[in-house]
Amino acid sequence: MMVSPMPVLGQKGPDYEVGPLTRTDIVRYAGAGGDFNPIHHDEPFARSAGYPSVFGHGLLTAGILGGYVADWLGLGRLRKYSVRYVAQVWPGDRLACSGVVTNVTAGEDGVLVECTLSVERCAPDGTRQVVLTGAATALYAETA
Amino acid sequence: MADASLIGHESPEGHMPVERGKVAEFARATFSDRPIFTDPEAARQAGFRDVPAPPTFVVASAHFVPSDPGFSAKLDMKRILAGGAEWEFFRPLMAGDELTVRSRVVDVETKQGKRGQMTLITREVSYFDAGGELVQRMRSTVIEMPPMEAKAP
Repeated sequence: MMVSPMPVLGQKGPDYEVGPLTRTDIVRYAGAGGDFNPIHHDEPFARSAGYPSVFGHGLLTAGILGGYVADWLGLGRLRKYSVRYVAQVWPGDRLACSGVVTNVTAGEDGVLVECTLSVERCAPDGTRQVVLTGAATALYAETA
Repeated sequence: MADASLIGHESPEGHMPVERGKVAEFARATFSDRPIFTDPEAARQAGFRDVPAPPTFVVASAHFVPSDPGFSAKLDMKRILAGGAEWEFFRPLMAGDELTVRSRVVDVETKQGKRGQMTLITREVSYFDAGGELVQRMRSTVIEMPPMEAKAP
């Protein structure tokens, strides 16, 4: 929230989980984001490319985590957000977002808060696997 | 097959309006149910002129920029995986913003993977507002995996 207090070094972000992800969720994201690579919605195409089924867009996971970090640190404060895709997200997975503050530095414009971020997929069979790692930097204009 | 000749390749310039409906659609698709993305009054109370765009919203410029066969024809979509992305925010984007979108290939790198040679292609997309100010910049990397035939027998 815009009124959220500035997080301190080592502070963890709130627990947040979405899903289970359906093929409909993947298609909804394709339409919203404009990524129509058939590998994400066309089952025969995905199988012909060697995958067991369609899978979620990396940008879908990045978008979910982006919403999480905007909620946690404040959308208007975000200066940088980055993601690396580590593994695929499959229909049926739930996605768990987390974050931790790794650096707090006072600068001329305010206090820069840096955090690392992660998304884990929780499959119906109990498998848990990190699918995305990320980082974000937010500027808190108020003094610490 | 992508190669280093793509470096410097510029896609045709695009124009992207930031619209309330598209913002609400994008927020819903990314599971964000915050009222600031759907309700202009809630957005104003949070200090925004109108509903703000979620952090990764600019990717929706894929809807608005002209298709670029000079780029996409060089990629085999069955072998493409997303590698990563990065956004820099110079100010929040809000409904009513009119963006000019400029995209170019900034890096093409080959790496030896377990299954053969992978190609990493990085594009930088810059978003300018109606006043010509750079308001957001995105870098994204896709990985072209080795051809299926390259798999060990």
